[in-house]
Amino acid sequence: MNETVLAMTLAAAVAAGTPLALAAIGELITERAGILNLGVEGMMLLGAVTTFLVSLATGSPWIGMAAGALAGAGLSAAHAFLTITLRANQIVSGLALVIFGTGLSTFLGRPVEGMPLPRESRLPRMNIQLLQDLPLLGRVLFQQDVVVYGTWVIAALTAFYLFRTRPGLSLRAVGESPATADVMGLRVNTIRYVHTLVGGLLGGGAGAYLMLARVPAWSQAATTNGIGFIAIALVVFASWRPWRALLGALIFGLALRANFALQAAGVTFIPAEFLAMTPYLLTILVLIALSFSDLRRRAGAPEALGVPYAREER
Amino acid sequence: MPTTADDHPAGTTNGPGRDPVVEAHGIYKTFPGVVANADVDLRLERGEVHALLGENGAGKSTLASVLTGLYQPDAGEIRLDGRPVVLRSPREALAHGIGMVHQHFKLVKRFTVAENVALGDRTQPILMSAPDVHRSVVELSERYGLPVRPDAVVGDLTVGEQQRVEIVKTLYRGVDVLLLDEPTSVLTPQETEALFDTVRAMAADGKAVVFISHKLHEVLSIADTITVMRDGGIAGNVDAADTSVRELAQLMVGREVMMEAPGGDGQAGEVVLELDDVSVDERSRRGRLDQLSMTVRAGEVVGIAGVSGNGQRPLAEVAAGLIEPDRGRVRVNGRDVTGRPRAARKAGLSYVPEDRIGTGLASSLSVAENLQLTRAHRPLLDRGRWSTDARRLMEEFDIRAPGPSTTTSSLSGGNIQKVLLARELAADPDVIVAASPTRGLDVGAIEFVRQLLAQRREQGCGVLLISEDLDEIRALSDRILVLYEGRIVHECAAEDSDVTELGLAMAGAGS
Amino acid sequence: MLGLERRSDVPAWIYVAVPVIAVLLALAVGAVFLVFTGHDPLTVYRVMIQASFASTFGFADTLVSATPLILTGLAALVSFRVKLWNIGAEGQLYIGAVCASGIALLIGESLPGWANILMMLAAGAFGGMLFILIPAIARAWLRTNEIITTLLLNSVALLFINWLIFGSRSFWRDPAAGQFPQGLRIPDEAYFPRWGATRVHLGLVIALLAVVAIWFVLNRTRFGFRMKILGDSESAARYAGVPVRLMVVAVLLLSGALAGLAGAADVGGFSRRLDPNSLAIGMGYAGIIVAALSRLNPGSVILVAIMLGGVRNAGTALQSLPERVPMEIAVMLEGAILLFALGSEVLVRYRIHWPWSKGPALDASPEEAEAT
Repeated sequence: MNETVLAMTLAAAVAAGTPLALAAIGELITERAGILNLGVEGMMLLGAVTTFLVSLATGSPWIGMAAGALAGAGLSAAHAFLTITLRANQIVSGLALVIFGTGLSTFLGRPVEGMPLPRESRLPRMNIQLLQDLPLLGRVLFQQDVVVYGTWVIAALTAFYLFRTRPGLSLRAVGESPATADVMGLRVNTIRYVHTLVGGLLGGGAGAYLMLARVPAWSQAATTNGIGFIAIALVVFASWRPWRALLGALIFGLALRANFALQAAGVTFIPAEFLAMTPYLLTILVLIALSFSDLRRRAGAPEALGVPYAREER
Repeated sequence: MPTTADDHPAGTTNGPGRDPVVEAHGIYKTFPGVVANADVDLRLERGEVHALLGENGAGKSTLASVLTGLYQPDAGEIRLDGRPVVLRSPREALAHGIGMVHQHFKLVKRFTVAENVALGDRTQPILMSAPDVHRSVVELSERYGLPVRPDAVVGDLTVGEQQRVEIVKTLYRGVDVLLLDEPTSVLTPQETEALFDTVRAMAADGKAVVFISHKLHEVLSIADTITVMRDGGIAGNVDAADTSVRELAQLMVGREVMMEAPGGDGQAGEVVLELDDVSVDERSRRGRLDQLSMTVRAGEVVGIAGVSGNGQRPLAEVAAGLIEPDRGRVRVNGRDVTGRPRAARKAGLSYVPEDRIGTGLASSLSVAENLQLTRAHRPLLDRGRWSTDARRLMEEFDIRAPGPSTTTSSLSGGNIQKVLLARELAADPDVIVAASPTRGLDVGAIEFVRQLLAQRREQGCGVLLISEDLDEIRALSDRILVLYEGRIVHECAAEDSDVTELGLAMAGAGS
Repeated sequence: MLGLERRSDVPAWIYVAVPVIAVLLALAVGAVFLVFTGHDPLTVYRVMIQASFASTFGFADTLVSATPLILTGLAALVSFRVKLWNIGAEGQLYIGAVCASGIALLIGESLPGWANILMMLAAGAFGGMLFILIPAIARAWLRTNEIITTLLLNSVALLFINWLIFGSRSFWRDPAAGQFPQGLRIPDEAYFPRWGATRVHLGLVIALLAVVAIWFVLNRTRFGFRMKILGDSESAARYAGVPVRLMVVAVLLLSGALAGLAGAADVGGFSRRLDPNSLAIGMGYAGIIVAALSRLNPGSVILVAIMLGGVRNAGTALQSLPERVPMEIAVMLEGAILLFALGSEVLVRYRIHWPWSKGPALDASPEEAEAT
């Protein structure tokens, strides 16, 4: 593999990991509040199709992206209402989101299935001055589109928010021990709502990005392709830390692109389907490895993850 | 209209006085099936230590929760400095200067002390200033005698230290009124004394301290005023100076109580339970055992005293065969049952775990099912027989439930414990391992449980009683062992036991 | 803010009200999107009801759609009962179908039909169990989150069956198929018997038998009792001497086996070959809806599966409308029904205090309010 191929593969991996990172960071924020939202795939799909339709109508990828993010937030609002206010089972509610989101997005997208987005509605590339000329790294990291850079900024902001700010401390407290947060005067449900919605925004945004930069046309089956589920696993993999989520997303991006890289390198004896399985199998392996005791202690899910909070109960 | 902690007129500058800071009038609070508070009045003054005395279930904690905004009263009014207020949440209560230290601590285990203290403090800038919080923590802990390290992770602290963090936390918020819910239940006698000093310092500083307890002696030694609650209402309000243990007990229960179980000079017989050089590593944070050896003989009650978290749980679970120790053997009636719970039962052991709901009983199951929980079953169940068994045991043990198919979680605490004891005692054991068997029960149920255990002892059953309640240990045991950091550090006959000595041993400072 | 208060007893009308409310609200949401996309909701819903419930053959097709849903519903039910979350019925169903079709093709005409069918059922169940084995063991011994592992394996299974039929010249693929690859037909003897001229097949009987069997296991056996204890609290189960790890594995394997049976039923009773297009229609995910709506009650699984089967069946009928309503409205309705069922579940567990009402305990049930 010569350097150009390597650079191309890595650059593609960075781009492929970006929607994964966005969705995973969104889910991470939600889970930090103690809410498990398995509906990422549904939010991404709805975000993608909304982005497609709105970009097509307005001709602006930016308006499309905003609409897609909002659509994801809309779905997550349903999850928030069901699980926070009505205290429904978070697992089942999340899956309901996947089913509903898949159905709705396919329904809405049926008339445009397979239709490509016009060129002007796609995201432009934005090279970073000076840095783009770095050997290898410049090609890999700094000749990307603006969302890629934006995702890095989001990861940095999320890490800063979680560990350096007062609202971040409150958020973590709500996810660890809502009863404590409550007696300390925090609005547990409000905090959970807000961060579930933020998770939805990022999930929808991840779908939007897929649509605008990654896939050539809207297709229910091919657009997200299970990335939403990998994003959920990635949160565990990253032990609820934003930087690790970003790093993990890049690794998985590489796995997602391994297909093309290997074909380019002339490796054809492994069927494409098996290559496509690798991210999933890899994730499962990592999860199992993380379950071994000493690693598990350091990982540590938020204590109250998945548990509804009700104050007045005895 | 909620106000923040700092624009509230702080009580700290007023000094001790006799003006009411909080008044509660005609508080009613009901839960499905229970009237927790009925027409309750309470008046708190600055600079006083006000005890709220009552048995478990008398409504003390509910009243405290109403005062701190955790529960909304169904009727009644709360006044602060004479003005009626509605406390819709703990946040609003805190903003009005009312804070509480709960019996079950409200701490984030993974956070540091400083993080726990700063949590929810809206006067902090968005970008938190760690040094400021640290300084405040150190200052408060010095001023009120509450030694804590601001950067320690709370999950690593002992229960006594965690309680200090709780108090620092409320003081940091500038409270004028501090409620302490059963604060001494987790402390050694010495730690209790230190807590009393802190309480006095706070009162001297003009704060109103509400001391919630069911322990008569403690209340008498710390409180200025005592309000006694019974069955959700106020049974009396007395000056500590003009009352006696006897009067308080009368008010509290409404009748004479015999708290001591009928003891006897039963002769201890054969060894029925033997732990031989048992060690358990610290797997969870619930303590470990370190080369511990002990025996229980037929017809004796061996009491394990100690501050919680010193190995009580692993001791009980190892004895019951539920955990396999890293080294050492466990024998019941001479048979090796190490790490084999079903073998332990077969050899004649019964186990009454500390967590009734969730361990001893599956609370969503029916009473009849719970009475069968630990029995050996054939692959096909005979549910008809279960129901007959259940009726018999419900009668024998006076379990008040509509029927065998009643869901266990809908029963009262006392009846839940009776279901557990009925099952464990009906197995006709030679050894009973009982962990905190009376905790959280009302006086009637406590008497019943203690009598059951005493009666079994009379019949020649060996009892291993593990409890954090030193009074209970002393009342029921023949022999007392003190557990500290997984080792037996002190042993004495119950009649020769001395509280100070036991307390020192519990704190690890024994001879 | 909405206030909720836990109920101590649940009036009977609520159990009927919950699913009815859920379906009506889901239809209302569906109507909004139909109007939005220029369809007449009343026409669409009329066609759907006619197609699924108003004629013998329509209803028969509804039962055909319901058959795998009963089985995947049971699969979710047994695992959810012990608070294990097998979200992988989808993938277990595929692998069940792979094994069932594989064995039918292997046996060929060498065995009588009934033996072949029995072998297919066994192979289907085996396939489902095989595919959940690793998540089950990892969950039991390492506490690896089974939600994520089973979820991810669904994607793996889908890729695998696609490879068998579209990506390779495997044993399962019809060598005679030209441009459009498809699975090799199983021998005629292995076809599940059908009921008269309808497409209702033996799978339905098997599904109903499975319901009875699961009911029996849950209520009359030691295994079921242990499941009940474990479902309440792992700590209580350990205390009661239940071999927790083995139970976790056994329950998940049972769950996988039921999902695998659904795959075998599709092969033997419906597609008669390994057909990814017929399998990958979300029957496993729908099982989760069935289990949730049935409130984990085996008997109700049948009713809920028939209702959802009707919705799915109706989805296909929409294609025949002149305006070509996308059939995905059916999937969307499924999701919406589940969302609303979850929401209305709150009626069962809690009394509701509406934000505009003052004072204590505004009861959600008028009868009860009068009684007290």
